[in-house]
Amino acid sequence: MARSFNSRPGQKKDLFSSAVYHLHLYFLLLRAQARSQAVYRVSFALDALGSALITLAEFAAFALVLPRFGSLSGWTLGEVSLLYGLAEIAFVLMDLAFGGFDAPNLSQHVRSGSFNTFLLRPAPLRLQIFGSDFALRRITRVFLAAGILAYGVGASGAVLTPETALLLAGSVLGMIAFFGGLFVIGGTLTFWTVESVEAMNVLTYGGRTLISYPMDIYGQFLRKTFTYLIPAAFLSYFPVLHVLGRPLPDGLPLLAAYLSPLVGPLMLAAAFAFWRVGVRHYGGTGT
Amino acid sequence: MRAALKPTPRPSSPRLNAPLYASVARLGFRRQFAYPQAALWGLITNLFFGVLRISVLVALFGSKPQVAGYTVQDAITYTGLTQAFIMALSLFGWTDFMRTVHRGEVASDLLRPHNLLAFWAAQDAGRAVGQFVLRGLPMLALFALIWGATFPAGFTGWLLTTLSLLLAWACGFAFRFLVNCAAFWSPDAVGFGRFAWAVLGLGSGFLMPLAFFPQWFQGVLAFTPFPSMMNTTVEIWLGVTTGPEAWAGLAVQFGWALLLSGVAAFVLSRGLRRLEVAGG
Repeated sequence: MARSFNSRPGQKKDLFSSAVYHLHLYFLLLRAQARSQAVYRVSFALDALGSALITLAEFAAFALVLPRFGSLSGWTLGEVSLLYGLAEIAFVLMDLAFGGFDAPNLSQHVRSGSFNTFLLRPAPLRLQIFGSDFALRRITRVFLAAGILAYGVGASGAVLTPETALLLAGSVLGMIAFFGGLFVIGGTLTFWTVESVEAMNVLTYGGRTLISYPMDIYGQFLRKTFTYLIPAAFLSYFPVLHVLGRPLPDGLPLLAAYLSPLVGPLMLAAAFAFWRVGVRHYGGTGT
Repeated sequence: MRAALKPTPRPSSPRLNAPLYASVARLGFRRQFAYPQAALWGLITNLFFGVLRISVLVALFGSKPQVAGYTVQDAITYTGLTQAFIMALSLFGWTDFMRTVHRGEVASDLLRPHNLLAFWAAQDAGRAVGQFVLRGLPMLALFALIWGATFPAGFTGWLLTTLSLLLAWACGFAFRFLVNCAAFWSPDAVGFGRFAWAVLGLGSGFLMPLAFFPQWFQGVLAFTPFPSMMNTTVEIWLGVTTGPEAWAGLAVQFGWALLLSGVAAFVLSRGLRRLEVAGG
């Protein structure tokens, strides 16, 4: 991945050492941030616990209410946990990796003009943005999501073969790339506007919530929109249907369950193409 | 300090300068209308999440006509109400007062001839009404148009609901202010607030109607002020709670509002005693 950041013509000769160099640079940036955040220990611990608590409260509310109803249109708590855990773990890992592209963070750099410093430094731009907001406090959410996912795998009766494990891992990777792409698009929009970026929240946070539950509970319109117009259903819903041995909707072929690792990177590639347009458009603040 | 600057009523004065607080509330109201475009997008986001929440609730109900006193239609109206109250009742958190303490702006507020708690209450009341008009009413109208959300029944229904909503705001404000007072003791008050807002979301019935929770959990929540911050109002609106039960609910809300306001005033006075603001 780091190879693609190489924009310096002089290093084209040795792609491997350049990739290693850039990866090293990236981890240096992450380490610097992690260390600065860990200085205030109490503050860090509170933030870390607090950010997991919101997810915990949300999931707990659902889990506490479900017994009164029996099931969510035929889905048990374990089966929903599988979807919920997959979406949450992918989203929080994406948040860790792509936080720098998140519109609120990036727009601050664009508005204040500090985006110029990124452009001036002798390091690839995207690598610097990737390394510009690493919120270590989200690590608690990773553990929580892993716990929910583990419960889901155990309680749903999903048969965990190497094939299904690979399918779920591919689903997570696809989701990271997909939602990362949405963050990049949202961030790129801030080159033009500092308002109305909130519309992206519908797609990012809304999309995350949407795929946390089985998509057959939504009406036809919503489900088809998020299958064929915005290919969110391919990310985790279809893989989970397959793992649980349920048929795919609309008579889709089994192949559709395997497309997450393709759909996600395609979205990310499109997002970065848009990003390049945005960066070219950026003119600084004149300060 | 204040008395030396101006011969106006001291903060502990029982006399309330009503016109002053009325204009503070009016300004708090008007401030909400500064960014109409952002409000529109916020409305769209809230509506989308409303659709998702309705889908989950309707799927949970399945073919059951009624669960814990709620019909499917009640559950839909519940969703509309909670989505409408997000901003007015600051269900996702509120850190305005905290910020003035951390930045030291509280010092200039203290120089003014008013009671700090009453000043913030007035400002927040104006903010709440503004947000209810800007975000709440359109949301309710959309829910009524699209999903046939219902409204309180008759004059008594409206009276009880209105009183309950005012008390829910009062309870919520006192609680939020209390949480913000943590800023006097800690620079990490924002992190502390995250706990409070997560508990508020669960306990006030924002995430799920409290009636759907297991008995033991409802029993625990009954000892806390959180149901008074929204759930009581929603149940009175829906008519799930009526008659003497509704009046009892109002009494509980009133009691919590008084108690929390008292605690907030006490904690504020303790906090102000240890407040130090660097000049500059």
